[in-house]
Amino acid sequence: MEQLLVPMICKIDKIIQETPDIRTYRLKFKEEGRMEKFSWMPGQFIEFSFLGSGECTFCIASSSTRKESFDCSIKRAGIVTADIHSGLDEGDEVGIRGPYGNWFPLNDLKGKNLLFVGGGIGLAPLRSLIQYCIDNRNDYKDFTILYGARSSADMCYKDEIKEWQANKGLRVVLTIDKAEETWKSNVGVVPKILEEVVKPVIENTKVITCGPPIMIKYTIQSLLKLGFADKDIITTLEMKMQCGIGKCGRCNIGSTYVCKDGPVFTNEQLKLLPDEF
Amino acid sequence: MDYTKQIREIATKLFTEEKIDVFVGYRTTGFDENQVPVIITGLEEIPKLIFNDKSVFNLTNYLKQEHTRNKRVGLIVKGCDSRSLNLLLTENQVKREKLFVIGIACEGVCDDEGNKMQHCTECMFPDAVVFDEMVGTTHDARLYQVNADVRELASKSLVERREYFETVFESCIRCNACRHSCPLCYCAKCVIDQETSTLYHGANTTSSAFHALMTWSLHLAGRCVDCRNCESACPMNLPLHLLHKQNESVIYENFQEHMAGVVEGDRGAFYKYSMKDPDDFIM
Amino acid sequence: MSFETFVTDKTGLQKFYEAIIEKNETYAPVEKFGNFDFKRITRLSECNPESPIEKTRSIKPLFFPRSAKVMKYVATSAGTEIAETDKDPLAGKRVIIGAKHCDARALQVLDKVYSWDYIDTDFRNRRQNTVIVSTRCDKAAIHCFCTSLDYDVETLDAMDVLIVNGIDGKIYIRAKTEKGNAFLKNFPTIHDSQLPENEAAPALKAQYEAFAATFRLQMNYREVNEKLSKVFDSPEFESLSSNCISCNTCAFVCPTCHCFKISDEKVKDTGVRYKSYDSCNNGYFTLMAGGHNPRPAKYRRWRQRALHKFVYYKERFGENLCVGCGKCTFACPVNISIFEVVNQVSDTAM
Repeated sequence: MEQLLVPMICKIDKIIQETPDIRTYRLKFKEEGRMEKFSWMPGQFIEFSFLGSGECTFCIASSSTRKESFDCSIKRAGIVTADIHSGLDEGDEVGIRGPYGNWFPLNDLKGKNLLFVGGGIGLAPLRSLIQYCIDNRNDYKDFTILYGARSSADMCYKDEIKEWQANKGLRVVLTIDKAEETWKSNVGVVPKILEEVVKPVIENTKVITCGPPIMIKYTIQSLLKLGFADKDIITTLEMKMQCGIGKCGRCNIGSTYVCKDGPVFTNEQLKLLPDEF
Repeated sequence: MDYTKQIREIATKLFTEEKIDVFVGYRTTGFDENQVPVIITGLEEIPKLIFNDKSVFNLTNYLKQEHTRNKRVGLIVKGCDSRSLNLLLTENQVKREKLFVIGIACEGVCDDEGNKMQHCTECMFPDAVVFDEMVGTTHDARLYQVNADVRELASKSLVERREYFETVFESCIRCNACRHSCPLCYCAKCVIDQETSTLYHGANTTSSAFHALMTWSLHLAGRCVDCRNCESACPMNLPLHLLHKQNESVIYENFQEHMAGVVEGDRGAFYKYSMKDPDDFIM
Repeated sequence: MSFETFVTDKTGLQKFYEAIIEKNETYAPVEKFGNFDFKRITRLSECNPESPIEKTRSIKPLFFPRSAKVMKYVATSAGTEIAETDKDPLAGKRVIIGAKHCDARALQVLDKVYSWDYIDTDFRNRRQNTVIVSTRCDKAAIHCFCTSLDYDVETLDAMDVLIVNGIDGKIYIRAKTEKGNAFLKNFPTIHDSQLPENEAAPALKAQYEAFAATFRLQMNYREVNEKLSKVFDSPEFESLSSNCISCNTCAFVCPTCHCFKISDEKVKDTGVRYKSYDSCNNGYFTLMAGGHNPRPAKYRRWRQRALHKFVYYKERFGENLCVGCGKCTFACPVNISIFEVVNQVSDTAM
């Protein structure tokens, strides 16, 4: 019955403790040969079932250019995610449906300067695109990553960020909300650092931003103040979802299905939606 | 029973003297005899208000709704409604000083066909037990009686009763309207809705309906005031009162003739200990 | 395209029903606690094909069950297996008798959402394997307004076979689809009484006109659609939603509401995943794990439901997500009328 909603079984290959409340689950399909057939685009999401606890929506946090497995970064926030954190170990099996949703407009990004603005767990969907762009580095011009977190301990993907910092082709700007003794980099909220430190080139630049709703709101405000056009600001929306396939009606914002028409929207598109997200 | 005139007079007085911000009453649907609860905010809306034997819905439900929160509320309560109000006061859900209560000496309300509702004919407390102003002629004290259908059910064996309730639960569609319409179900998140619960889990199966409705009825045991909001809300017309009245009769018998919400401040049969409580089931 | 019409009388209709029940897996309105719900029947006496509209639940659960098993799984330390799900109990060839025309129409509306992008094959199979026999109402109930919406009740082809109680006392049986036409060929006693179109059409029209004259409620849906598309920011929503108690009954009885939730029932190692009805009136419908809720206030959820029915679905799929059956209003414990409120809200549009 209900064929569309039956997940496929994945095995947890590795669990990486990113921060005290965020873990990255590296997944592989249990079925032989399935992993090779599984393909996704940066920005797409999956439905992740911890069988017996429930199903949750997470973005795929890694790029399909690195195909031996895929990552989901999960923050402990609600009941199912708490169960996932406490109940799942390496080697355990989970259910996966997907990939669903639209993806970052890769064609529009070609030949452009890219500015990534991420906050907290919001770096996860960006990471998929960042990896993709690093693997296709020649398609893009300047490459800037601004990433903020509440504290240095709350930063995800610390090892990978070090790799990015070492990469000559990337400019990485990190910031935390409150000063810490050992912290040598910027202190301040993301929009402030964006305006005062990053000072992005507006010409020929696309901004991709994701983070907590409040951060997205103020980041977009300061991007507009800096002179970016609405169509050049791209974000991915968080919305309660359940089916992921445009049926269950949960992610409706007006006549838009976030799970099908999104989750990636430009600010131009967001402005047309009723204010309910 | 038609107290429209008195209700309008009192409401006018309350708004004129600025004693309340909103008034919860009834209005006509405009095309049939049924009534719609209405929350009015000023004098100009008072002509909408009516009260007669079709004023069925227990308005204390609105004390848990957003539109009355943190406001001074005028409210109409019949006998049964006043008992649920008493419980809400006792359980610190509403503040007495924020309320102006119009108590009704109730003659009983009617169903869709115009017949007096069965629970009204057997009502023990037709007069409001908590009020600021009383409307109507109060009644003499009445005796407790167990409804005929509850007596009949109680006379059956456990197996038969279970079978009967299974046919009831089978028809439940798990819309939870019973819970939402109950004035005493005010938990922000019901235990039945917890995502972690794999017993209740929200699916519409007989077993989950059994769990959900049984849990619900036990949470209301010793609290249910038999206003029948749940039954009027049920889209499948389930005889939910049987669950509650059965509990009520057991509690009446075993806990010193306890009736819910009759006395302000009474914490209810299951929330206090008395030396007279039955203990013959303790090993 | 017009199909054949047959004429019969009360006894003939009864025999027709009996023949259907004898030969097919048949569903019909069965009374329980004074309510009629569609159930599997084996004898005509178990059901009432002309059940009163205000007490009859829709046929939607036969296509979109109140709870459907998504799958069964066994999760042990040795690994997780998704066990074969049980066979879809609703997928077989079957006939529904006593369906209301508004309910049948609702399925046409639902077809749109179930067949865009990801096609819900289960829903489609159930649709394809079902013959819907519907009796046109003789009289509108107090909250009915089906004639005011974006479909023509007279020519509606959402049912496969239409039964009309003519005002001349005769009963007309008319195939409305190819499927219905083929279905009727299985019933020789009916099939022998074919009526030429020039006699059938006026008789059906006369009944329709008598029926259409009984409506208390009438509105211009185009005007309502147009006006409602501009009222998102109207402050009226706050006061109009004030007496709603968010009990969700309206969504659960609605023949077009299709929001659902997914939940697991797990006992020891074995679990079952269900897909069950949900309602956008629930406070936690859009509540996210982090605590963010895009529709935290009652009036916002209430507005979502009204606008989804009359604006959003129309924008997206070209149809109103309301068929004017009045079920929500009949079921509402506080007697809120959807007709009344959408008209009140649209009157506030500039």
